[in-house]
Amino acid sequence: MSVVVPRRGAPGAAGAIAAEHARSRRRRRLRGLGKHAFLIVVTFLLVAPFYYVILASFKNSTEIFTYPPKLLPIPPFVGNYQKLLGDTGFLRWMFNTLFVAGTVTLIKVFVDSMAGYALAKLDLTGKRLIFVLMLILLMVPLGALIVPLWALVSAMGLTNTYLALILPPLANPLGVFLMRQFILGLPRDLENAGRLDGLTEFGIYRRIVLPLIKPGLVVLAVIIFTDQFMSFVWPLIATSSDNLQVLTVGVAALRSHGGADYGLWSAAAVMSLVPIAVFFFVLQRQFLARSLAGALKQ
Amino acid sequence: MTTVPSIGESTSGARYAIEILGVTKQYGKVTALGGVDLDIEPGEFVVLLGPSGCGKSTLLKIIAGLEELTEGEVYIGGRLANYLKPSARDVAMVFQNYALYPHMTVRSNLGFPLKMAGRPRDEVNQKVEVAANLLQIASELDKYPDELSGGQRQRVALGRAIVREPLAFLMDEPLSNLDALLRVQMRSELLRLHKRVGRTTVYVTHDQVEAMTMADRVVVMRGGLIQQIGPPDEVYRRPANRFVASFVGSPPMNILDGRIETADGSRRFSGPIPVDVPGLAGMALDNGPAAIGIRPEELLLVSAGTDDSFPAVIELVEPVGADIFLSAAVPGGAVLTIRVDAETRVAEGQSVHVRIAPGATRLFDAGGDRIPAGERA
Repeated sequence: MSVVVPRRGAPGAAGAIAAEHARSRRRRRLRGLGKHAFLIVVTFLLVAPFYYVILASFKNSTEIFTYPPKLLPIPPFVGNYQKLLGDTGFLRWMFNTLFVAGTVTLIKVFVDSMAGYALAKLDLTGKRLIFVLMLILLMVPLGALIVPLWALVSAMGLTNTYLALILPPLANPLGVFLMRQFILGLPRDLENAGRLDGLTEFGIYRRIVLPLIKPGLVVLAVIIFTDQFMSFVWPLIATSSDNLQVLTVGVAALRSHGGADYGLWSAAAVMSLVPIAVFFFVLQRQFLARSLAGALKQ
Repeated sequence: MTTVPSIGESTSGARYAIEILGVTKQYGKVTALGGVDLDIEPGEFVVLLGPSGCGKSTLLKIIAGLEELTEGEVYIGGRLANYLKPSARDVAMVFQNYALYPHMTVRSNLGFPLKMAGRPRDEVNQKVEVAANLLQIASELDKYPDELSGGQRQRVALGRAIVREPLAFLMDEPLSNLDALLRVQMRSELLRLHKRVGRTTVYVTHDQVEAMTMADRVVVMRGGLIQQIGPPDEVYRRPANRFVASFVGSPPMNILDGRIETADGSRRFSGPIPVDVPGLAGMALDNGPAAIGIRPEELLLVSAGTDDSFPAVIELVEPVGADIFLSAAVPGGAVLTIRVDAETRVAEGQSVHVRIAPGATRLFDAGGDRIPAGERA
């Protein structure tokens, strides 16, 4: 609908303009309310299941199924957490998970960034071929690799060792690909300046390239760590020892022991989230900075 | 200290700061440099000038050791440098995009080469301070490169080269990222700095104004080959060939194709305008295709037709401040560019008479090479 605004100075113009301004404000406020209502619904859909799990973790098995459900766990029931930490191998699983995910992340960030540098900047014969092979590898689903990988690890006598959990993920080429793309963006003159300043190739990588791709390293670390933290199929196959179980496998195994204890499962789910949440919060500034820089880069 | 092999002695001893002998560079089937010979005297400011892709930056990188040459020899300070690492060649380079380390402060950027060379901290600090004062960036020492203006970054890049006190500075289009005004300022500053520091400088540019104003000698390159080496004035007045004639000078030289013919027992150049080429009769030049070149400022407007003038019609008038560039069509169909001073009153469509300044004609043979005769000194 087109709105006719009287010309300035016409009789009654001031009143009409004020009315039009008021209408415009109302429309804007309504639009704002609509947007907020939509966002509230979406937020509720995302947060509600999560809140339900936290709630369940602080209820005993009777309270969980009472109707209407209690929306606040008062008084909180901490028996699920006591049982989780006391009667299950949860702390061991947590240690295993953090050890494996941390080691894989550290090694991969170092190796992938070096490989990325080599593929992006060094004059290597067959560089393109290696890169294409890596891209092809990225497209192979894990399911197709599981059996030969298990055969390989088994033949090397590594089953039921930490190495079985740490070595295979190191071969994932995603990190090399990411690092190569990051490093390709660095101007060649920077390396040349380093060469003229007397740096070796490793010196250029360590003193110039690494500090400049720090945001990329953080992104890679977050991706690798969360991927390893949530990895389930390979740890399930590669180890059968209780001592080497990781969180995902251990928590899943809770279901097969001791019946349907929803409170305990919920407590395990909540506790499992703690390290990954801490990891993300510690690195979030860098992570978000990188995402925004990427989005706004001209 | 790098040991230099005995076979690596320069043929001229250490007379030249940089000596380039038969250097070629192939990228697969592409020839970037097709045999370059160049001697650079100590303290000389040499500008490598040419269009994009002519091989000037490749030659600079070969001198710096950042590119490997395919054939030939490079001597720096009398030592064979072919197998020396870039850092051992005693040269410092200033890059087109400055190549400052973004994660280091200006102070760290300046001191980095010295730190890498293992110099004591006191010496590093002292040299950094001296360079910063010389370049008027002493107040910026604790800033990061992204907090500096383009001109300041350029100074830091220069400072990083200066602190090393190298035998030669290599500069790869160092002013091309600056705006026009700053470029003019930095050009003068660079020249002053060169006179003060007195080091050999090899400077790459495609900007002929930079080349003409800064160089002791200009090396004009095209297609990986040197077309001409000489002082700016010589390159401008006596271009070695048609390429140099049309590349150097703005607006470029007027080149008119024609033929050398013998008529009535005398030899003359026959082209779109009547041209008297002095000494043509005595030249060892066969009859056939040839061309003449005349600089725009060597075409003079005359008030009435004289024996040595020809008519033209002004097609376009382009005032550029102190001068006016005229495009004038001559009866043969060619269009000449004429440079006149800003006071000249001419209008588009106006018929004029044009005369060639005495001795202003360059003659080029069928292959494009200049035949040295009949020119002004």
